[in-house]
Amino acid sequence: MSLKDLLSPFFVWQRAFEKPYTTLRPTLDRPGAPAYRGFHINITETCVGCGSCQTICQNNAIDMVAVEAYAGRAGDSGLRPRFDYGRCCWCGLCVDICTAASLRMSNEYAWISDDPDSFHFTAGVDDKPWQDNELGYRRAEGYHLNPPKRIEMPMLSAQESLKSFAEVTLGYNEEQAKKEADRCVECGICVATCPAHMDVPDYIHSIRDGDYEKGLQLMYRTNPFPATCGRICTRRCESVCPVGILGEPVAIRWLKRFIVDQVDKKDYQRILEKPIASTGFKVAIIGAGPGGLSAAYYLRQQGHAVTVYEAQATGGGMLRYGVPSYRLPDAELDKDIDHITSIGVEIKYNSRIGKDVMFESLLENYDAVFMSTGLSVPSSMRINGENHARVLSGLQILADVASDRDPGIGKKVAVIGGGNVAMDAARVSRRLGAEVTILYRRRISDMPADEEEIHECQQEGCTIVPQAIPVEIIDADNKQKVCIKWGEAKMVDDPKGGRARPVLQEDKMHTETYDCIISAIGQSSNLDYLSKELQEQLAFEWGKLTPAEYQHTSMKKVFVGGDFANRTADAISAIEDGHHAARGINRFLNPDFYTALEKQEN
Amino acid sequence: MNTVDEILDYAIEQEQLAADFYEDVAQRVETAGMKKILLDFAEEEKRHKKILLAVKTGEHELTPEQEILDLKISDYLVEVKTSENISYQDALIIAMQRERAAYNLYNDMAQKVPDGKLKHILLGLAKEEAKHKLFFEAEYDERVLTDN
Ligand SMILES: Cc1cc2nc3c(=O)[nH]c(=O)nc-3n(C[C@H](O)[C@H](O)[C@H](O)COP(=O)(O)OP(=O)(O)OC[C@H]3O[C@@H](n4cnc5c(N)ncnc54)[C@H](O)[C@@H]3O)c2cc1C
Ligand code: SF4
Repeated sequence: MSLKDLLSPFFVWQRAFEKPYTTLRPTLDRPGAPAYRGFHINITETCVGCGSCQTICQNNAIDMVAVEAYAGRAGDSGLRPRFDYGRCCWCGLCVDICTAASLRMSNEYAWISDDPDSFHFTAGVDDKPWQDNELGYRRAEGYHLNPPKRIEMPMLSAQESLKSFAEVTLGYNEEQAKKEADRCVECGICVATCPAHMDVPDYIHSIRDGDYEKGLQLMYRTNPFPATCGRICTRRCESVCPVGILGEPVAIRWLKRFIVDQVDKKDYQRILEKPIASTGFKVAIIGAGPGGLSAAYYLRQQGHAVTVYEAQATGGGMLRYGVPSYRLPDAELDKDIDHITSIGVEIKYNSRIGKDVMFESLLENYDAVFMSTGLSVPSSMRINGENHARVLSGLQILADVASDRDPGIGKKVAVIGGGNVAMDAARVSRRLGAEVTILYRRRISDMPADEEEIHECQQEGCTIVPQAIPVEIIDADNKQKVCIKWGEAKMVDDPKGGRARPVLQEDKMHTETYDCIISAIGQSSNLDYLSKELQEQLAFEWGKLTPAEYQHTSMKKVFVGGDFANRTADAISAIEDGHHAARGINRFLNPDFYTALEKQEN
Repeated sequence: MNTVDEILDYAIEQEQLAADFYEDVAQRVETAGMKKILLDFAEEEKRHKKILLAVKTGEHELTPEQEILDLKISDYLVEVKTSENISYQDALIIAMQRERAAYNLYNDMAQKVPDGKLKHILLGLAKEEAKHKLFFEAEYDERVLTDN
């Protein structure tokens, strides 16, 4: 045995006088590797609280907790992840799935505390020294655990589209829909943004389960127009879907359509049937557009006798007479409307209130009245020569086409405007064989029309001339033609931060001759069915009305909704207005029941 | 009207007349909403009058050199007659066109006088009217020309 071996036990003793590595004297001299999976960092400003980190965590180490600073922020759940380091196994899956790429890991690994219960923290909210750490695990550039691209919607080619008024979008097949449904992280942020608060994650889940009947039932809870909305909804939900932060948002609208397409109309009754017990109350509704019919559906479900008065020969309002069939086929709109009438809603067609039946008689004969008469009067440009016979209204052309009448537009047309009506008038004109130029006073990016529609419009060969301000309509040599004088505009920023304004450049004027000019610059309401006194009493301003809670007006029995009573003027808002009014009318008709209920709740 | 005070008195009176005009139309319109808007317009004119009174006493300076954006909206719109059932669009067109006329008036007068204090005041008044025109034209751009 060597001397060293003999003495070594004694040398160990010298260690006994060194201070130990303990919570009081930790080993802090060795930094974590640059990509070490240490404590979490969350950039809470970019995080939207979707909770996909919580869902993917296999150890239940993440809880989503409310953080006041983000409460009520648009497109944000107001929650942020809270980590439990008693459970975390540092796998980094939460970082890989994070939809906003706001979650990452620092290379910090020492956190010293005597209290074993203290290792919980809300990253980015609770003050921790590693929040600004530059090193640690990050998701690799371009790596996506969730596919960033949506499944493309099969569509007719632009050339094919122009041959007829057949529907342009063809719908997903089952495999495509399931793949797209798989991209949903079920956060529910869309639910808060949808005006009707549709239960999006659950109906998308029903696609994963292949249970389309359940999907349909879920949709009808808040929206009796799913076939319609599955095609033409303005889909605010998609604008907040967090999957869209790094990639494309889940195609919520197309998934809704897929569910409806899977269920045959003849099965609706069986799937959606609910017993209806009559209340003996009678409610009148003016207008069979989406607002009126949504109110009718939910009121009828509550057991009230509902009669809808509609001036036209068929229902659907602007969805029928405005939105062309290549975007919303009549049969699909009928699928929605037929179910509404099948539960006992009566629609009296060709009955114009103010002419065939007086408004006052509705007030007398019904327990409540809901009005959703929309915006049907085209706005005028107020420029010289506007009354020329070849200046046509976009709404009129669309109504003509919807009713199989020839609008007589000719072969070369100019459309004025940048909203939905302008795009539809232009695309319809293309289908009627005309060469189409759209004149719009601002930039294409300022157009209120749906981005996809603008794109499709261009694909179909419409020429958009942005920053073009019409100044005068002039007679052409031939009575069947008309000239328009327009000037180029320069965009000038608003010093107050509003949207940039177009300024006419008087030295850059153009004059062009067309077979007709289609004006589509907006529309307002027609309130002729209400006397001036009633309009005054209801506090209409500029033909619009801002209702109180539950869509109630200042008149006891009268509720309103739809385009003429909201700012958004789209189908889903009208549908929600109708549903909301139905709840309001229910409360109004059963005040005792609701007072008792509220007492019970308090 | 040759002196600065005379011109200012005239301009002040014009603002009062404009306020009276809107109040008068407000009495005749049929809806409460329209009445309120017209009374707001009248208030706006009274505010202009106050500014000019302050110019007269020397408490406020006109700024003829200031660049004011001209949206040129009213320049190409047909004239609107006042009536009991004018719309918001009508009311704005009337207001824009009145401000435009006032702007043209002061501007034309300024071209006819030699350089000096009077010209300075006239150009300053023209700029004030240009600001008022912009106020109504911006409102028209925002609220009426929504889909356009
Ligand atoms: C061309 C065009 C394209 C559009 N595209 C889209 C789109 O892609 N997505 C989207 O979400 N929205 C779109 N919209 C808007 C959508 O159509 C409307 O928001 C929706 O229809 C409004 O519903 P509503 O119930 O308020 O009124 P409306 O749909 O206008 O229905 C009102 C009904 O009341 C009836 N009526 C009116 N007065 C009387 C009376 N005195 N007596 C009896 N009946 C009366 C009318 O005949 C009509 O049927 C579009 C609109 C147009 C015009
Ligand atoms: S569709 Fe988007 S927003 Fe809605 S639940 Fe799914 S992931 Fe969340």
